[in-house]
Amino acid sequence: MRTLSSLALALVVAALVWTVAPRSVIAHHGFSVEFDKDNPITLTGSVTKFEFMNPHIYFYVDVKGKDGKVVNWAFEGGPPNVIYRQGWRKDTLKPGDVVTVKGFRAKDGTHLAACATVKLPDGREVSAGSGAVAAGPNGSSPNSGKY
Amino acid sequence: MSNPIRLTNLFAACVFSLLLSALGCGGRAASGSSQATAPPDFNGVWSAPFTPDLSKALGHQPPFTSYGAARFAKEDEIDDPLTKCLPIGPARGIQAGIMPFQVVQTPGVFAILFENQHTFRIIHTDGRTHPKDLDATWFGDSIGHWEGDTLVVDTVGIDDRTWLDTAGHEHSDQLHLAERFQKVDNNTIKWTVTFEDPKFFTEPWSVTLPIARQNTEIMSYSCEENEKDRAHLRRSKK
Repeated sequence: MRTLSSLALALVVAALVWTVAPRSVIAHHGFSVEFDKDNPITLTGSVTKFEFMNPHIYFYVDVKGKDGKVVNWAFEGGPPNVIYRQGWRKDTLKPGDVVTVKGFRAKDGTHLAACATVKLPDGREVSAGSGAVAAGPNGSSPNSGKY
Repeated sequence: MSNPIRLTNLFAACVFSLLLSALGCGGRAASGSSQATAPPDFNGVWSAPFTPDLSKALGHQPPFTSYGAARFAKEDEIDDPLTKCLPIGPARGIQAGIMPFQVVQTPGVFAILFENQHTFRIIHTDGRTHPKDLDATWFGDSIGHWEGDTLVVDTVGIDDRTWLDTAGHEHSDQLHLAERFQKVDNNTIKWTVTFEDPKFFTEPWSVTLPIARQNTEIMSYSCEENEKDRAHLRRSKK
């Protein structure tokens, strides 16, 4: 009984940790050393390149500003392993895809942002690593998550 | 003496008993920590809830020494060894590796294969002790023994460049890890890790997390493959 109650307590604590933990899935650095959670952005543009590689996925989007000038933004997502298990594949984004990205700007002011979600050409808005974490306390299964 | 059949049976029983004992099946051994039944099977892929800040799981900050508190106060996530793609360390690999790990269990070795950076721990369960002259390594020297359904692991000699978590809890070369992996059911391990380090903490402190079986396989990983972040990192503490 003591073992069971201890485990129950551990599960509750783990659930709390899970709830309050940063939602970003950063493989090899903390979120706050690179990105500003108080500087959210939403940008729409055309994908120019997609790198489905470790330690984070990167994709690049040409975004047309109000002045008509096009800027190529870089977006960083979660580790490919983690988002693969959420349904991502190396061809999930293709050059020419028009997407809307929600994220947080880099602290250094460059045209770089952490990507929270991407709205794909088919209308689905999917997490790119800043949403549900694959390795949750209740387990996960490949392809079980809808991105 | 008058019954050779009975003597033969007695001799055979003795040989059988010795054989069982030699195979580790002869009941409680001299150490008192062995068991009559085989240890549970931990083989498989597992993951603990992502716990990048151990103080959240503990409910408060660890019991720092003044030195440990000063170190933590000035520590910055930019100095995290993982930002340099250095190994994650023995406990952090379990509680904050983000990615799952695989257990490969043999009679003398309990191996933990981390997907994170494709690193691994070898926990010797063959009765050996820690080497006397131990050089620090990224995952330390681990020995373990079975107590019923629980693997009890003792780890020393851990390189003090590893962090205990992403929040910046550090340790010295005197860190001693005591872990208990209890097989609660086929899909759950109750993992308790105790951190003991007289330079950083006034007393040992422990965290317990449930480790869940994963319906997946560990995948490839290379931290340096397309590393682009370091140039953008900014120090948040002065």
